[in-house]
Order: sequence, then structure tokens, then C-alpha cells
Amino acid sequence: MPLSFPIDVSLASAAAALLLPLTAFGIIMVAVRPYRRLCAGISIAAVGLSLMLAVFLLIRHLGMPEPVVYQKSWLAIGMMHIPFGILLDPSSLLMLTVVSLISFLVQVYSLGYMAGDPGFSRYYGCMSLFAWAMMTLSISSSLIQIYIFWELVGLSSYLLIGFWFEKFSASEAGKKAFVMTRFGDVAFLLGLVLLWLQMGDLDIVRLNDPAAVTQNLSPAMITLTGLLIFGGIVGKSAQFPLMTWLPDAMEGPTPVSALLHSATMVAAGVYLFARLFGYFSLSPTMMSVCLAIGTISLLMASTMAMVARDIKQVWAYSTISQLGFMLMGLGAGSFFSGVFHLMTHAGFKALLFLSAGVFIHHFNTNDAFSIGRQGGRKLKSATICMMVAAGALSGLPPLSGFFSKELILGRLLELGNPAWFVAGALGAFLTAYYAFRLVFLILFPKTGDAGAAPDDGHHHHQPAGALAMNAVLWILAAVTIVLGFWEHHVTTFLASALGAGRSQPIGHHPWLPIAAGLLAVSAVGLAWLEFGRKKARQIGFIERLPALARFFAQRWYLDRLYRYLLDKWVYQGISRLFTWNDKKVIDGAVDGFGGTAIHIGTLIGRLHTTMIQNRLMVMALAIVLMVLYFGLSG
Amino acid sequence: MIVPYYHVIILAAMLFALGMFCTLARRNLIMILLGVEIMLNAAALAFVGAALQWQQMEGQAVVLFVLAVAAAEVSVGLALMVSIYRRSGSLDPDVRLTPAGKGAE
Amino acid sequence: MTLFAILFYAMAALVLLSTALAATRRNMVHAVLCLVVSFFGTAMLFYLLGAPFLAALEIIIYAGAIMVLFLFIIMMIRTDRQPDKIFTTGRLIAAGSICAVFLFALVGLTLEHPGGRDLLMAAQASPAEFGFYVFKYQWLSIEIVSMLLLVALIGALLLGLKLRRRSTDA
Repeated sequence: MPLSFPIDVSLASAAAALLLPLTAFGIIMVAVRPYRRLCAGISIAAVGLSLMLAVFLLIRHLGMPEPVVYQKSWLAIGMMHIPFGILLDPSSLLMLTVVSLISFLVQVYSLGYMAGDPGFSRYYGCMSLFAWAMMTLSISSSLIQIYIFWELVGLSSYLLIGFWFEKFSASEAGKKAFVMTRFGDVAFLLGLVLLWLQMGDLDIVRLNDPAAVTQNLSPAMITLTGLLIFGGIVGKSAQFPLMTWLPDAMEGPTPVSALLHSATMVAAGVYLFARLFGYFSLSPTMMSVCLAIGTISLLMASTMAMVARDIKQVWAYSTISQLGFMLMGLGAGSFFSGVFHLMTHAGFKALLFLSAGVFIHHFNTNDAFSIGRQGGRKLKSATICMMVAAGALSGLPPLSGFFSKELILGRLLELGNPAWFVAGALGAFLTAYYAFRLVFLILFPKTGDAGAAPDDGHHHHQPAGALAMNAVLWILAAVTIVLGFWEHHVTTFLASALGAGRSQPIGHHPWLPIAAGLLAVSAVGLAWLEFGRKKARQIGFIERLPALARFFAQRWYLDRLYRYLLDKWVYQGISRLFTWNDKKVIDGAVDGFGGTAIHIGTLIGRLHTTMIQNRLMVMALAIVLMVLYFGLSG
Repeated sequence: MIVPYYHVIILAAMLFALGMFCTLARRNLIMILLGVEIMLNAAALAFVGAALQWQQMEGQAVVLFVLAVAAAEVSVGLALMVSIYRRSGSLDPDVRLTPAGKGAE
Repeated sequence: MTLFAILFYAMAALVLLSTALAATRRNMVHAVLCLVVSFFGTAMLFYLLGAPFLAALEIIIYAGAIMVLFLFIIMMIRTDRQPDKIFTTGRLIAAGSICAVFLFALVGLTLEHPGGRDLLMAAQASPAEFGFYVFKYQWLSIEIVSMLLLVALIGALLLGLKLRRRSTDA
């Protein structure tokens, strides 16, 4: 399809919004890496322009009647077409705006945080790549395109988590994030292939059309593909059982965590679910699985967060639990509540991480107790901003989190089974408890606490960027406070293009806001009793049960389990095979390992140095067999 | 109205088999490369025949690419041959090069 | 049997014969010369099958450039030490059987397909048409191929440089 002239304004601005960060990445990585300030400038300018274009698009399409799609065939293999395109509908526009906004703010913030880091230019290059991948993902028009950028998001987050790669734990964390999300992605890819075979294309608009789907797929097939795709979501959004990579992912710089946890990497999973909401909702099994996984993740991560000492780790767990909460909302059949929580969460989670970054930057430690003792509350703006964000996370009334949580709880209440609502409410309670536990730890330090060794990070005391950092904090705090009151506008905007089928109004329970507010307040009160008041011993109720506390602190032994399985089945199994092969080596496991490695090396080496014609012969034989196979089967 | 399509294909198949034979049987690196050329040529012939059969230009375009690939392959391949010959003094495909990069002899 | 068909079968016989000769010559210069003849025949076939431009390219590139390159290299490398046999018996049997099975399978497959029986319609793509088509619809592939050629050029250059460095070292 040739472009028609004059160029469509929306298409041009969307394409420009996408291309700018990519161009910035290219320029930074290829041309201007030695000039640090220029790199940051280019990157921020690109994302800033993208943000403006995104806002422009949002305003332009505010009252649009139906989704706008621009597609161009990218590859054609026989009858299969792989289109590449842009799909503008309310949720993608909102997501685009949120992503570019958060990326922009985080990049400005990084001016201060990353100042003086030797990898400054590389950092901004990766940030641009990240922004590009996520923005393109959010307005992709087909699942195959989403998958490509999904992997790009994974790649760039790997680069950023392992940014300080000279630190062993950082590069390990990067690898862990990459590998664990890959587990889910395999399922995702399988789902895509299956779906493709059945549907003939992976157009998002078409997949969300119930008539088209039920015509091509049997209900069992819908459930199967849905579950496979959901596997990718579980990996990406760090849900149970693939959740343990996320807490480790804080090895990256704090602004990266902020970006990763709020609007990009993990949000991609939930966003994909929202994208295919119409498709998923055709399968009730699928929706209950989603609800269950969301609930399990919510509760597990909340319990882990209750005993964590590391400030970033607490927020990481809270991300998992809030993503679980979003999935609960979506799984319960309410599109708006999930998407709205995704948005509010992006705002306050970025704020949480960025304010935590200020503390970490200033005190050179991640430990909440030690930050408190060193006088964390003297950093006034960071403390206030963190309180605002924690309030939003807990769902305290006037803040954004309150509105979105209330929406989800309201929807859960409408489900037949009250267990879901109870679980959701319990999760919300625990969330408020651990959020304010951390706040009180920093606000009201107790000197008698057992000292925790401050860990050595790559932090630099440079007041130069403090202004930028604080400005970003205040902007985000303002967003957090205001966003909740726009609930109605966002809802109507989302509803405007979705059609009646997906816009089930959420029933109003007049007591629910009050109950939710009370719940949050009581949780905060409990936290105050245990950590805030003068005589508090700063020991949570969980810690009175040491076994349980250890259980939670060890992340329910999930990591151990994975490590055990890895050792038991993968490493031991293979090495036993090696030893069996090579009985001469009896000098213990280490020697055995080395010996077998050499053995295998020579074997492979022999394969390499063998005569070229023998290999040609094998190749020809393979071709002949293939011809025979096709001849006999066709 | 010239010949049936399958005559062209069979001719190409016979040429291909000859090239394959040359590649597999000759104990000489240059002859192996020559065999590859024969096979590429056979494939090109099949493409031209197919282009005529279905009256599609793609077949001819592919032949153009086959030519380019052949040229690229020959230039690099022959440079490798010369380098191997300099190192080992032989064009026998059975020549073993030690990892250090010196001829085994 | 039209004139075209007669020409076709004559050329096909020429091509097969010269290729078979090329594959079995002990002297590599002879082999290359046989192959040049074979490529001329193929060029003729291309012409008959309606691709005059490709026929020209076949002669210019294959017979002209590639084969001459082969000749250069063969003359550069003085192969006094020819092996006694150009085939070893075991290899000959293995290669021969693989090729025979391959040919058998391929011919069988072709004959089995009924669509190939129709006579080809004579048609010709003039160089202008061909060029228009290639640069309109296949321009990206052309660019990629030119990139490939550039890479090959650099690769060959690199190998040559290494050679020269080694010989100056020695």
C-alpha cells in the first residue's frame, strides 16, 4: 500500500514518535559516545519530542469513534503476510503517553543520578532503545510485531539490569531476568504459532472480534492458545511461578528499576493481556486461571515484602503484587479497572523508585533501617514524595491508587465467589501495611536496631543533578495526586472505542470506597503501632514467627527450588553421564568436570578438523534424504 | 512452443547431480569449488525454466542473485584456497591445518 | 519438433557432455575450459528459454569472469604434485551412489507431476523489461546482494592481506 499524500498527520506523528528514540539510540551508540552531555541531550530531546507527539495524538484522537490502523506488509511468504503497522486506540494511546512520559521523566532524573558514571553514554543509549521498544510495542498492530518488540524490551532491560556488568551479581541478575522471561516467551511463541495456524493472521483488532475468533477456533483451542500466551505474560510481568527475577533485577541503577517496574518491562505483560482482553474473555477457564495467578502473586509477593529490609526490594515485591492485582481485575472481567490501575501504578511506582533512588544515592545503602538511622527524613522532598507514593500504593483516599484499587475490588465483589474479594482485600491490606512499614522505618528510626552492613554500590555524591531529580519527583507526585480524579474521563475515553461488549459498567457499592479507605487506614495504623510510635520495637507481627519470616524472606524458597531442580536434573544428570563416559577420572567432581570438558573438546575438535569432503558428503546425503522424503510423502 | 517443462527440469537435475558428484568425489579443493559452480548453474537453469513455465519474472530475478552469490562465493573461496595452499603446499581436501595456523607438514 | 526444440536438445546434449568431461578431467585447466563450453551452452539455453539478458550475463560473468578467475588461480598454484588417482575407489562409490539416488529421486518426482508435460509457451523478457521489473519490485534484494558482494570483496582482500603479511614475515 503506497503512502497516500498528503501524509496523514496521525500516522506521521506516530511514526515520528517511534523513530525518534531509535534514531537517538543509533546516533548515541555510533557517533557521539565520547560526548556525554550530548548523548544525554539527544536522548532526552528525542523522548521529550516523542512525549509531545504522544500527547498530541492523544488529544487529536480524544473522541475517536473507532481504532485507527495503519498497516503495511513487511514480509510475504507465500500466503502468509506479516504486517507491520500502527494501531491507535484508546488503550494504546494512553499507554504510549504513559510510557513516553515515564521514560522522559526517568531520563531527566538520571541526569542527576547517573552523573559521573563511566557508562553514562551507554546508559542513555540503552534507555533510548528501551523507550523505542516499549513505545512501539504499545502501538503495534499485530501480535507478531508485539512479539518482536517484546523481545527487544527484554533485551534492553537485560542490558540495563546488567548495566554495571563488572559487578558479578548485576550481570547474574541480568542473565536471570533474561532467562526466566524467556521461559514464558517460549510458551508465548508457541501460542502465537498455534493461533497463526488457526486464524491466518495475528491482527489485534481481528483477534478481539468475538465473531471472527469463534468462527475459526474451537473453545478448547482458544483456551490453549490463551494459556500459552498467558505464559509469556507470566514471565514478563513476573507473576507466580516466574516471579523471582524481578527482585534481583534491582541490581541495575535505580532509575532503571523505576522504568522497568512502572511503565515498561513488567507492564508489557499486563498490557498484552489488556490488548487481547476481548480474546481472553472468550475463554472462562482462561480468565479464572488469570484470576488465580494474579491472586497467588498478589499474596505471595506481599508476604515477601513484609520482611524485606532492602528498600528497593520492598518496592520490587510490591510491583509483583500490584501486577497481580491488575491481572485480578482483568481476569475478573473488568477491562477498565486493570488498565486504570496499570496507569496509576506506573505513576506512583516510578515515584516510589525515584524517591528511593534519592535515599540510596545520598546514603549509599539500600537498607531501610540504616537509611532511617542516618537521617533519611532530612531529605524532605524525597520523604514527602515517598509518602505520597506509598499512600497511593496503599490506596489511601485522595490519591490515585485508591480509585483504581477500589475499581478492582468492586469488580471482584461482583464475582460469585466471595473468596476472590477477600483475597483481594487481604492483599490490599498487606500492601498498605508493608508500604507504611518502610515509610515509618525511615521516618522514625530506632537506634537500638541491629546494624546492617551498608552495601557498597556505585553511588556518587554529586549535588549537581539534585535539582533535576527533585523536579521529577514533584511532577510525579502531582500526577499521583491528581490522576485519581480523572477516573471518569479515562473510563469514558477507554469506552469510546471499545464497543458495548467490553464496557460492562462496574456496579456501585456506596460502602465500598469507605470500606477500602478504612482497610488502608487500619493497615497503616497497624504499621504505625509496630514501627511508627515512640515505643515501637520495629518488629513486625510476622517476625514474631521466625519460621514464617524466614520462609517469606527466602521468597518461599522458590529460588532454592529452581536451583535445586537445576542442580538435580540438569547439572547432575549431565555430569553423571560424563562420569560414566570417562571412568578414568575419579578425582572428585571438579576434576571429573574438567576432564569431561577436555574430552568433549577433543571430540568436537575432531569433528571440526575432519576432512571437508566427508562433511560435504553428509550434507549431500541429507539433501537426498529430504528429496526422498518429499517424494514419498507428497 | 518449444519443449516440455519437465525436460528442462530433468536437464537441470542431471547437471546438478554431475556437480554434486564433482564436489563429493574429486580430491582437489579447486575441483570442489568448480562442482559448486556447476550446481549453482543447474539451479539457475531450473529457475529460468520455471520463469518461462509460469510466465513470472521472479525466476529470472533469482538467477541474477544466483550469479551474484556465485561471484561472491568464488572470490572468497578461491582466496581461501590460495591461503590453504600457501600454508600446506597441497590442495588435498584431507589437509589438516593445526590451530596455530601452520601447515601440518 | 520445431527448430527451437532441436536447438534445445542439441544444446542440452552439449552442456551435459562438456560438464561431464569437466567433472572428470585430471588436468584442472582442461576442466575449466570444458566448463566454459558448458556455460556457453547454458547461455544458449537461457536465450531459448526467453532470458536474453541472463544469457549475456551468463557469458560475461560465469564464462568470462568466474572461470577466468579459476584459471588465474590454477596457474598461480603450480600443482606439480597431483595425486595419483583423481578419485579414490571408496569415495567414488559413495559419491556415485548418492548422486545416482538423488538423480533418480528427482527425475521420478518430476515425471510424477503431471503439470510439467505441457509445452512451454515461448516468451521473451527483453532486458528493458527485466531491468524495470528488477528495479521496481526487487530493489531491496539488489541492494542486499550488492552488500554481499562488497562483503565478499572485503573478505577476499583481507585473506590476501594476511597472506602477504605472512610471506613478508617468513
